[in-house]
Amino acid sequence: MPGETARGDGVGPILFPRRAVLRGGLGAAVAVATGPARAADEVSIGVNPLFLDSDIQLLASLRDYLAQRLGRPVQLVKRRTYQEITAMLLSGQLDAAWICDCPYVQNQDRLALLATPIFRGEPHYQTYVAVGPRAEANSFDDIGGTVHAFSDPDSTSGYLVTRYLLAVKRTTPAQFFRASFFTYGHRNVVRAVASGLAESGSIDGYVYDVLAVREPGLVAPVRVVYKSEKLGFPPIVGLQSAGDQKLQQAIARAFLDMAATPSGRQLLATLNLDGFTASEPELYRGTLEKWLVVKAQS
Amino acid sequence: MLWRSPFSTLPLAWKAPLLAAALVIAVALVVSKVVLDRLQSDQDAALRDLTGAYMDGVSASVLPATVRGDVWEAFDALDRARGRYSGLKVNYSVVADTSDRIIAASDPFRFPVLTDLPAGVAREFPKGNGLVMEDGKGLAWASRTLAEEGVAVGRILTEIDVSDLLRVRGQVLWTLIAVNATLAFGFAVVGWYAIKRMLRPLSVVGEHIERVRAGDMQPITGPESRRVSPEFERLFRHFNAMARAVNEREALTSRIAAQERYALIGKLASAMAHEVNNPLGGLFNALDTMKRHGDDPKVREPTLDLLGRGLTHIRNIVGSTLITHRGAAPGRSLKAVDLDDLRLLVEPEAARKRITLDWINDVSGVVEVDAEAVRQATLNLLINACAASRTGGTVRLRAFLAERSLVVGVGDQGPGLPQAIEKFLLLAPDESTTLEGGLGLWVVRRLVKDAGGTITIRRRSGFATIVRIAWPIGDVESEPAGAIAAEETLHV
Repeated sequence: MPGETARGDGVGPILFPRRAVLRGGLGAAVAVATGPARAADEVSIGVNPLFLDSDIQLLASLRDYLAQRLGRPVQLVKRRTYQEITAMLLSGQLDAAWICDCPYVQNQDRLALLATPIFRGEPHYQTYVAVGPRAEANSFDDIGGTVHAFSDPDSTSGYLVTRYLLAVKRTTPAQFFRASFFTYGHRNVVRAVASGLAESGSIDGYVYDVLAVREPGLVAPVRVVYKSEKLGFPPIVGLQSAGDQKLQQAIARAFLDMAATPSGRQLLATLNLDGFTASEPELYRGTLEKWLVVKAQS
Repeated sequence: MLWRSPFSTLPLAWKAPLLAAALVIAVALVVSKVVLDRLQSDQDAALRDLTGAYMDGVSASVLPATVRGDVWEAFDALDRARGRYSGLKVNYSVVADTSDRIIAASDPFRFPVLTDLPAGVAREFPKGNGLVMEDGKGLAWASRTLAEEGVAVGRILTEIDVSDLLRVRGQVLWTLIAVNATLAFGFAVVGWYAIKRMLRPLSVVGEHIERVRAGDMQPITGPESRRVSPEFERLFRHFNAMARAVNEREALTSRIAAQERYALIGKLASAMAHEVNNPLGGLFNALDTMKRHGDDPKVREPTLDLLGRGLTHIRNIVGSTLITHRGAAPGRSLKAVDLDDLRLLVEPEAARKRITLDWINDVSGVVEVDAEAVRQATLNLLINACAASRTGGTVRLRAFLAERSLVVGVGDQGPGLPQAIEKFLLLAPDESTTLEGGLGLWVVRRLVKDAGGTITIRRRSGFATIVRIAWPIGDVESEPAGAIAAEETLHV
């Protein structure tokens, strides 16, 4: 499933699988916080794109906070796709990662949950399906035949949920939409829909709500026509087989204690989160079910 | 007839500033053309450079996306390029594949993704790489082929708003017009003032020449003669030299005229003496006869008659001389006898050369002309005629009244009037015309001119010259014959 090729309506250009292309080295070109060499005691934590493509300031604050909490230098590793971060984590190149819930459920047997964010009082978020300013759609069913913008093939909110809804209808994006494409960022989906490049899009509800406050002008032309049920918030995970379990626990503690320190609270305010909590795999049952349905279709 | 431009008749004070303004306008037109051409070529070059830079940047970033048909990447590249090229107002950019199917556009609402580029839009753009501009619409269209390894994979089409460039051109044009119009007007005003100042000495000369026409020849002195340019200083000097020469000539002419008059008076005096002397012998004889035979009434009566006629003749001669030279009341009207008296004065001279006087005086009653002026002019003509006539010839006088004028004609059988004298008499009363020789005709002309009369000269069979003067009747001037008559009165 993560390697699925997203296709147009059969006439349009083929949207190539990201994984194959990015393994060719494009990933390095978009890396934000990669150092040429890693210090011996440096902690590597992978992060998916949050609001902006880079989130440089946010990531700097997070890195400083973690470095202070862990007492060791911290490197935040960012890649263009979710898939790259997942691959790096699974191959042991990262000590921990803040990944989407979809890659988590796909690799649940190998990953350990370290912490789950609390958004608006609970460890959940939703998927939104939104349309542009000129669209007349009022429900998910109305967006058939539009040009649709997805976020990332490994994103729950930016792909899996929509894909699941279509699978339930026994159809696929290629059949349901006139064309679809990936923007590799939730904010990019909002941009694509707002500018008219896409007529509809699948968006992370948490990102959408935060952008509505931070960049109301960007979100204003976009209208949400569907909200999914609540799903487990993308967690911070580590490898179950990690050699340094103390480090994993320290990382988990740093996140879980964030609300207890002034710098942590400032960081949480920037992230629009209430804090982090320990969670069980059960939290992600909804996501897992959807992924299984989609996997079964393909 | 040659056509004369209205410009040639304009005063110099207008011509020079107009010429200066015209020159400024001509220079301004040329300069404006050069400036605008240069501005346009610079703007075109700048637009091409800027468009080239934009196309280079965008094509580099959209090429991989175009190869893959990646809608988002292509759009993102176009979207990021927006606003990064200051000075280039991009209306829209479209990335299309080789069959002009839109991969992405900066304005997706206008150019929806994965639709065909409208043919009307595609037509505006040049084929291949290039830039075309349409000033009327204020738009430019740039096209750039996207090629990978020499194979075209699509193209970027960009519409650019160039109305700013055209507005700058318009502003420059209006600035040039405003500046040049101000300059032209300024030059014209300064030129007008400068020329007016420079030509002021000419009007001074003009005023003095105008006064000469009124008989007042004054050299240019006083403040207006100072602080002038060397050219006008020279002109003033020459004018003043001329004024002095003319004044000296006037004085000389007056002296010569006086001398001439003395000569005339001498001639008349000797003639009169001769006339008086003629009967004197007879009168003395008659006196002797009376002494001896005065008692005889038969002798006494005829002798006394003879004495009376002789004395009357003498009285007439003396009387007419007195009338002629002392003058009667100024502006006195003329009677026939005033002309006939002249015969007595001329007769001695005529008799000396055995000249026959053909005398017909048809004037009757009182004629409202200046008697003294007519008599003096006529006497001069008669004396001139006698002098010109050969011995034994005829001098003719005709006097008659025509409509509103008294006509007096004097003819002789001499060799005819020299051309110069004839011209002198006939030409308009131009004082500068000089007369070589005698002053008699100069006096005639002066008298006729003052009386407002006209002179004609004819030739008729038997006569070489007939000078005819028409004296206007009715407007006898209060000052007859000007200064000459008064002077003569004094000298006699």
